[in-house]
Amino acid sequence: MSRLFEHFGAEGKGYAQPAPMLPASELGVPSNMARQQLPRWPRLSEPEMVRHYTWLSKRNFGIDTGFYPLGSCTMKHNPRVNEVVAQLPGIADIHPHQPEHQLQGLLSIYYEMQDMLAICAGMDAVTLQPVAGAQGEFTAVRCFQEYFRHRGEHHRTKVIVPDSAHGTNPASAAMAGFEIIEIPSQEDGRIDLSALRAVVGDDTAAMMITNPNTLGLFEQDIAEASSIVHEVGGLMYYDGANFNAILGRTSPGLMGFDAVHYNLHKTFSQPHGGGGPGSGPIGVKEHLAPFLPSPIVARRAPTDDEKKQCVDDYWYTWHTPEHTIGKVQQWHGNAGAVLRCWAYYRRYGKELRTMSEHAVLNANYLRHAIHREAKAAGVDHLFVDGADTIVAKHEFTLSLGPAKEALGISAMDVAKGLLDMGYMAPTVYFPLVVPECMMIEPTETESKETLDTFARDFCKVLQLDAETLHNAPTTTPVRRVDEVYAARNLCLRHPFDDE
Amino acid sequence: MVDQLPNLGREEEMLKEMGVASIDALFADVPESVRMVGDLPLPDAQSEEALLADAKRLLGANLALGDQPSFLGAGLYRNFVPSCVFQLVTRGEFLTSYTPYQPEVSQGMLQAMWEFQSLISELIAMPITNLSLYDGSTAAAEALTCAVRVHNRKAEQKDTVYISELTPPDRISVIHNYCQGAGINVETLRHDENGCINLEDVQRARGSCAVYVEQPNPLGIIDGGYPSLKEIIGETTALIVGVQPVSLGLLEAPGNYGADIVIGEGQPLGSPITGGGPLYGIFGCTQPYLRLMPGRIVGRSIDVDGKEAYCLTLSTREQHIRRHRATSNICTNETLIALMGAMHMSLLGPEGLEQLAVRNMAACTQLKRQLAGVEGVTLPYHGQSHFNEFVVELPASTSACLAYLEANGVVGGLDVSNWYADKTNQMLVTVTDQTSQRDLDRLVDCLNSWTQEVNA
Repeated sequence: MSRLFEHFGAEGKGYAQPAPMLPASELGVPSNMARQQLPRWPRLSEPEMVRHYTWLSKRNFGIDTGFYPLGSCTMKHNPRVNEVVAQLPGIADIHPHQPEHQLQGLLSIYYEMQDMLAICAGMDAVTLQPVAGAQGEFTAVRCFQEYFRHRGEHHRTKVIVPDSAHGTNPASAAMAGFEIIEIPSQEDGRIDLSALRAVVGDDTAAMMITNPNTLGLFEQDIAEASSIVHEVGGLMYYDGANFNAILGRTSPGLMGFDAVHYNLHKTFSQPHGGGGPGSGPIGVKEHLAPFLPSPIVARRAPTDDEKKQCVDDYWYTWHTPEHTIGKVQQWHGNAGAVLRCWAYYRRYGKELRTMSEHAVLNANYLRHAIHREAKAAGVDHLFVDGADTIVAKHEFTLSLGPAKEALGISAMDVAKGLLDMGYMAPTVYFPLVVPECMMIEPTETESKETLDTFARDFCKVLQLDAETLHNAPTTTPVRRVDEVYAARNLCLRHPFDDE
Repeated sequence: MVDQLPNLGREEEMLKEMGVASIDALFADVPESVRMVGDLPLPDAQSEEALLADAKRLLGANLALGDQPSFLGAGLYRNFVPSCVFQLVTRGEFLTSYTPYQPEVSQGMLQAMWEFQSLISELIAMPITNLSLYDGSTAAAEALTCAVRVHNRKAEQKDTVYISELTPPDRISVIHNYCQGAGINVETLRHDENGCINLEDVQRARGSCAVYVEQPNPLGIIDGGYPSLKEIIGETTALIVGVQPVSLGLLEAPGNYGADIVIGEGQPLGSPITGGGPLYGIFGCTQPYLRLMPGRIVGRSIDVDGKEAYCLTLSTREQHIRRHRATSNICTNETLIALMGAMHMSLLGPEGLEQLAVRNMAACTQLKRQLAGVEGVTLPYHGQSHFNEFVVELPASTSACLAYLEANGVVGGLDVSNWYADKTNQMLVTVTDQTSQRDLDRLVDCLNSWTQEVNA
């Protein structure tokens, strides 16, 4: 075990800094504001620090380590050129308050990204400011709110979400002050139009929905759902978490949506970094464009003076939408993430559609392979499809209800068994509408061999006896972690001896 | 041209095995009425080398601050980040992992984030911290809404918070967006001529849910009045202090002068400015706020063998469980940037942090001394201590000054009229550990020649 707080070497062990311009005694910190005791941080030399973090990294599983079929999270390979681009000084070492003429390169890339995202989703205007998908949701519902206020429709206080929605949908709408109406899905997991009809009315502000839905099914009634909401004057919000399944095949615009957020780190590419950063731009139809956060990038013909500094035929400027909601992040969003996605997008161009097609091809193939191998191994009675469908989209669900009933093996047990086989486990217990749910998303960057091998290994896990699985995992850096202990004996920081 | 798809060219084989006729058949469930017809109207795919050439050309057209003396800060600061931070953070096991939902195979990042919490906790003197919010502005906004959740029931001034009038407008805008949904009324607190908070005026905030101030304040001033704030506002009003983390190598940690919640823009520790993101928001608090605070938290626990192990904890506050009753909608945060922060902090150690702070403040003090000799330029808050930035009053418009500086190869400071419209002749000048004596001399020379030109 390597612990950061066990390194207490001599003073000044880390990197050597140049001397200050003046001695500390000449700085004049007000006496009542002078720090009395420095933070009790550890002291590490560079070799110790490098070894500690390398040791930690070896106790962490990433896409680079192995197959990562975490449903809903789109854990695809991240092209390394993205990292090279994002570390160029022209992005790493620029300040958002620099004037436009010093940032024409960045602004042109922002414009290109706004334009590309609008095209892909069938929207009219895009802001890159929201820094995560959830913040994109919040930003969009804030725009809805101002849109309705602007129209004097103060009575629109309710946002409808299906019960299979991501938790961020209701959380984001509630943060903006809306009341949440949750409607049940049909038995097959798809939207229930009669349930929707029953709740819409004068007070409907919006419906938030993802398509394909969290079961990996395309909502075939989506256009009808849009009309139902639009007929009562409400707006349709597209949660873009699953946009990677349909890019170039259909678009939120074609389905009747008024606004959409993009998870750049899922649909495109930005490594998730163990929990972030992300980037969650939103796109909107024309009627909502005046409410977008400020600023967005616009372009015009350059003046003669400006021509010298142009990167192409245009001059790029920051533009404040007429009725802007203001800011949701203090600067211009996660520019570094936008840049990585731009690099990714440039590598695909119009072939982005192929990316989606392969995401869907791989998901359907893996679903097929799992059933095939299960039959061969005689374990096909231990699980059923989470949804009854001929084709899935980019992900699919299985219910391990039968295994639970017959053998007492839960979805979590199978997940832990897969960890022992060297895989990241699929998402478990989401969506809640499928009992003992396992949600599998292979992504487009896995080979057929990987999918075949995983299918076989999945069935091997199902052949293990219940006791072995209850005890799994056994080959990981630690075994099952006691989350109840963690919550009852809260230890959120290094405890010093005198505490 | 696309080279990221292992199964390219094997579609037929896979489809055949599945008994599916074509790729189109996989999309048969998309109704015809909503199908996209034709190709996406986008350019052709590029090779990696063509992309890199374009990236270098376009990003090369941006003016990188390292290329010339620069005095722009105002919330984001370019301190030196040691090389091994970048080397280590791009290890694939960190870079390409997801939120640690399976703790058994995510111990590395979980422990790193627990250590991050420990480092931040010591830095700001708060017993509890989370593993990052998006940035300093959203951390401020979430702190205010958190304080309202905790205090509103007993507050005399319900749904009301007070923030310093100096808070930069872009940050106020974020605060407004977050607060308005919860129906929170945001009032402002006045400052004296000397740039420090008016302690008399703070009395108005008694009985409200929270007071938000920054140290150093947005004018760069180290406000010596803050230790009185908690006593003035009382127990049932949260004192929220926003910090520049590097300054805490010299300045008292807010937890030691009454702060209930401490937030900050973490960027100066561990991360380049990167055009304003990704950054990481610091959030720490005391016990009463624990169960209503936003963001993910790592706890130390044990595994079934009793072995030390780490996992996410107190998740019942969060959106994936509590849905519309969650304390925040945050899901993805800024873990990787926080990891860079932790790495930088581990290399600094306590004395290294102090020295980094001294270097910042020394360059600042030195520049103030040198500018005192420039005729026509005054320092409106000269009597105050400044950490790494301060306001100068110019004899003509800041925009004219900035243009002159740029023509002479210097990136000037922030035009203060961007924040406060009437301050057309003020510039907020920032230094960091990257500022050299040569840079200071260059700025002073330029200001000398510019003021002579203006006065001529």
